[in-house]
Amino acid sequence: MLIYLRKRIVSSALPLVVVIVGVFALARMTGNPASLYLPLNATQQMRDDFTARNGLDQPLLVQMADYFGGVLRLDFGQSLRTGQDAAAMALRAFPATLQLAATTMVLAVLLALVVGCWAALKPNGIADRISSFVSMAAASIPDFWLAIVGIWVFAITLGWLPTSGVSGAGTWVLPIATLLLRPFGVLVQIVRGSMVSALSEPYIKLARSRGAGELRVVTHHALRNAGAPALTVAGDLTVGLVNGAVVVETIFGWPGIGKLMIDSILQRDFAVLQAAVLLTAVAIFALNILIDMGYALLDARVRPVTARA
Amino acid sequence: MTSSSTPLFPASAVKWPALAAGALLALSGCAVSNSEAVPASGSALRVVLGQEPPTLEACESNLTSTGVVVRSNVTEPLVERNPQTGELEPLLATEWKATSDTEWTFKLREGVKFQDGTPFNAEAAAFTIDRAVNSKLGCNVEGYVFGDADLKVKAVDATTLTVTTPEPDPILPLRLSFLEVVPTSTSTTAKVREPIGTGPYKIEKWDAGQKITLSSWDGYWGDKPAYAKAEYQWRSESSVRAAMITSGEADVAMGLSPDDNMGDLGVDYPNNETVALRLEATKAPLNDIRVRQAVNYAIDKEGIVSSLYQGKHKVAAQLVPEGIVGHNSALKGWAFDLDKAKALVAEAKADGVDTSAQISLVVRSAQFPKITELAQVLQEQLSQAGLNVKLKMLETSQHLTYQVRPFADDEGAVALMTQHGNQAGDAAFTVDQYMLSTGAQSYFGTPEFDALIKKADAASGDDRKKGFEDIFAYQNDKVVQFAHISHQTGIIGKSKSVNYTPNSSSGDELRVSEMTPAS
Amino acid sequence: MKSSITEPAVEGNLTLFRLLLKDRFAMVSALVLILIGLTAVIGPVLMGDLATKQNLLFANKAPFSLAYGWEYVLGSDSLGRSMLARLVVASRTTFSVALPAVAAALVIGSLWGVWAGYHRGWRENVSMRIADVIMSFPSLLLAVVVLYVFSPSAGNIVLILALTRIPIYLRTARAESAELQSRTFVDAARTFGARPNAIIGRHVIPVVLPTLLTLATLEFCYVMLAESSLSFLGIGIQPPDVSWGLMVSQGRQYLQTAWWLSIFPGVAIVVTTIAANVLAAWLRIATDPAQRWRLALPRKRLIVRIPVKEAKP
Repeated sequence: MLIYLRKRIVSSALPLVVVIVGVFALARMTGNPASLYLPLNATQQMRDDFTARNGLDQPLLVQMADYFGGVLRLDFGQSLRTGQDAAAMALRAFPATLQLAATTMVLAVLLALVVGCWAALKPNGIADRISSFVSMAAASIPDFWLAIVGIWVFAITLGWLPTSGVSGAGTWVLPIATLLLRPFGVLVQIVRGSMVSALSEPYIKLARSRGAGELRVVTHHALRNAGAPALTVAGDLTVGLVNGAVVVETIFGWPGIGKLMIDSILQRDFAVLQAAVLLTAVAIFALNILIDMGYALLDARVRPVTARA
Repeated sequence: MTSSSTPLFPASAVKWPALAAGALLALSGCAVSNSEAVPASGSALRVVLGQEPPTLEACESNLTSTGVVVRSNVTEPLVERNPQTGELEPLLATEWKATSDTEWTFKLREGVKFQDGTPFNAEAAAFTIDRAVNSKLGCNVEGYVFGDADLKVKAVDATTLTVTTPEPDPILPLRLSFLEVVPTSTSTTAKVREPIGTGPYKIEKWDAGQKITLSSWDGYWGDKPAYAKAEYQWRSESSVRAAMITSGEADVAMGLSPDDNMGDLGVDYPNNETVALRLEATKAPLNDIRVRQAVNYAIDKEGIVSSLYQGKHKVAAQLVPEGIVGHNSALKGWAFDLDKAKALVAEAKADGVDTSAQISLVVRSAQFPKITELAQVLQEQLSQAGLNVKLKMLETSQHLTYQVRPFADDEGAVALMTQHGNQAGDAAFTVDQYMLSTGAQSYFGTPEFDALIKKADAASGDDRKKGFEDIFAYQNDKVVQFAHISHQTGIIGKSKSVNYTPNSSSGDELRVSEMTPAS
Repeated sequence: MKSSITEPAVEGNLTLFRLLLKDRFAMVSALVLILIGLTAVIGPVLMGDLATKQNLLFANKAPFSLAYGWEYVLGSDSLGRSMLARLVVASRTTFSVALPAVAAALVIGSLWGVWAGYHRGWRENVSMRIADVIMSFPSLLLAVVVLYVFSPSAGNIVLILALTRIPIYLRTARAESAELQSRTFVDAARTFGARPNAIIGRHVIPVVLPTLLTLATLEFCYVMLAESSLSFLGIGIQPPDVSWGLMVSQGRQYLQTAWWLSIFPGVAIVVTTIAANVLAAWLRIATDPAQRWRLALPRKRLIVRIPVKEAKP
């Protein structure tokens, strides 16, 4: 396992570089930021000065070499917008997103396991129908809409929760509830689907015929075999949250990395964008390694060949 | 299924979420911020803005998002313009006069200190001007109010300052009202995110991403403000800002939309912004003045104002609203006359103008409330007049390539939707940019028109006023680069616990010292 | 696990249809989907003009009233256009974004994933690292780039959404296929000398397909929502084009004054998603020989303890 882990980490280095090179090049395809940062009546001279001051007049390859040189010295450049250290800005925003994503996913997985298993016991039964319906409806409501309605209902009409912000426990409820619905809905479907298949496998019937309790059948036999697809999807959903809780962060004023990223993109704040992408990419790579390891634990046969050595 | 008989890590599927939940509890212990509940208003004023200020640097305070926090709260200028009367009033300078064609002399206030304890004097004022205008910092205010011109500044004695301009500048004091004074200890090589000023509030804390707190400063030379603290937060959705007022989480909310339905918690104020279409008259079909006139006739400005903006905006006939020096109150908005528009287009077509050529209606998404709706109305109305209009909604950066020189080359003639705010109060800031044939935001002009503008720029007093009034009339008669739509009205959300009357500059500098708790 | 390839196709289809008639939920879902599909195909032709006809004096009229004529039965929007016509026209844009995006991602991602999982080794490793790259790449940046360099057309949104969703299928297909390739029936095929592509096509894909299709129906919903989120951030479909997602996004500012502007398109998204997923769930059972008996049974005999002996269809 350790060998496998090391190999995975080493083999992740190149894709990381690919991501950064890609972001670097794509970002610069979106135009010169000069006019965003200069007054509207700026002269050509001022534009040229700005471009030169920020090294944007250099050929792309030279800029990239400079950047990677900086990265090796842990210098990720400065924000055009705020003048602050880009890495510091990204690192400051990241924990907020991570906490939000982790809480959401844990709750979503727990809820989905319970509801999904319950639904799978009687495929097409009432419980199944209701849970399918509710979870699908939940998963198909646009999040920004839900967030705004949530604020309206719970913060204004009922006055139970604060509208937004990050002060105190109350402010966590609405963002998490908003984020939770989609992963929950999707996972319920996945868990249910694989549980239905697993429960009709011969070994389950065998277990049942031997008199194993229903709970034991579900948790010990079926769930472990049905868990793999759920784990994969849960992982992908987590990646989605880490990378893009943008909408929820934007509405609730949650100072996370998604908001930072979209602001940097729209403001052509290249250094911050690169730092933010690098940080999330590292996190996502780490997460993927964790998922694969979890996967291997769930089913030894899936363990990649490298691990067999 | 062979694996089912060899259970691996029993119950692991159940354990890991539990573990994660435990880890999570630990995490949330050190949550993003556990700032204590905000004390009841009276001691702290809570403001919610549309976006986090990128910086509070004093020499960038002409940027709305920076200025709204820093201007007149943290830092102060030498003179300031009264938004109600349009007159310049003394602030850190007590009097000023032109001592020659190109030289102005300022007498400075005595007994004023910066928040770091150092005294304010002519040296600091000279330093501020040098730093913002003559340095390599690339301050935004430099380009905004001074262009390329460098100023010569001299501290004659502790309270006397002279400023020399390369050419006669009758509105130099007005330009200087944009410069917020900082002490000589301020860096000249880098911008400063948290400036020190002479204002009633000093920056107490900036929780990046979350909150800026200002607290009142005991050494302020003027009256002590009513609120001991001012807390700024930001939410990008106007409905959320509105909700924070309704739920009592904020006292003042900037930039609301008429559809936020604030009732008596919403206060209207003229925000000096004007919306217009700028017509690219160098390409068919807009190269014919009759087509440009047709555009004006085809837009139902009354309908737009009353239906989209609930009658809060005013139909515009020029780029500056009332209250700006040079506003021509005799001008009336173009009548809505679809038949006339059609006739003009037909006339142009008969003379060989390709009226079927595409016109790109270029609009910036989310620039102001209901812009998408407005854009679709304009597209529809211009199409009714027989023009071929394609709507292009663009994000800010891309829109800018159309908005300022060098203009992006589009496949058709461009009708650009522009929202112009004249913060300075003098039409020169509008006309030089939008109407001179070389203006940064002007597609074209004529030599006669340029001459009129130059003349008005150099004039002062009533001549100046008259000169600009004539310019606005001339644009509507002879040039028609613009199809004006409306002068906007801003909405500020204000809780019942605050006394404050917003004015035309509130969006750019929100003076906390003018607010008092309602008893 | 048995594969159903031995079943004669015609009879299979007939049975499927008969089974569908028996399941009320699935039947209703199928009808709803057909209705929505037809609307998207023919509706815009009939209502295209109505959907763009503005009347500023007639803005934000409440729904469920025939007083203004049938066009305004769902109310009017902020520019006095018929909500009904807008919804109908938007359905086409919505589907012409969501369907191709899901289909492209499904086909590319699944084939790639099955191939990678079957062969294991470097092919698997390289594929998974590519998936990592795509997943950690900010799709918002892609969207802005496309908007900036090209134009914000539906086609370009499809491109972005398809590209960013490929890893989902890739990872799932890879995992399933990797598990299958060690199974006895695959081994057997291999020992009989079948070529890898034939084994993948005959033995692996049929088994993996149900999971992938369930995933794809879920993704269909996701893609509609993602398009909506892009609209919210101002980088999705742009007016004068209109999609359900854009309507929800634009309507959100009127929640307090004209709720129907964002509720109706939202309901359209929810209904479509639910119908698609109910049908997919049903299809999954109906096409699985080991499960199909459930559908053939009368409802009340569905009990927890499944009889061990059951008739194979």
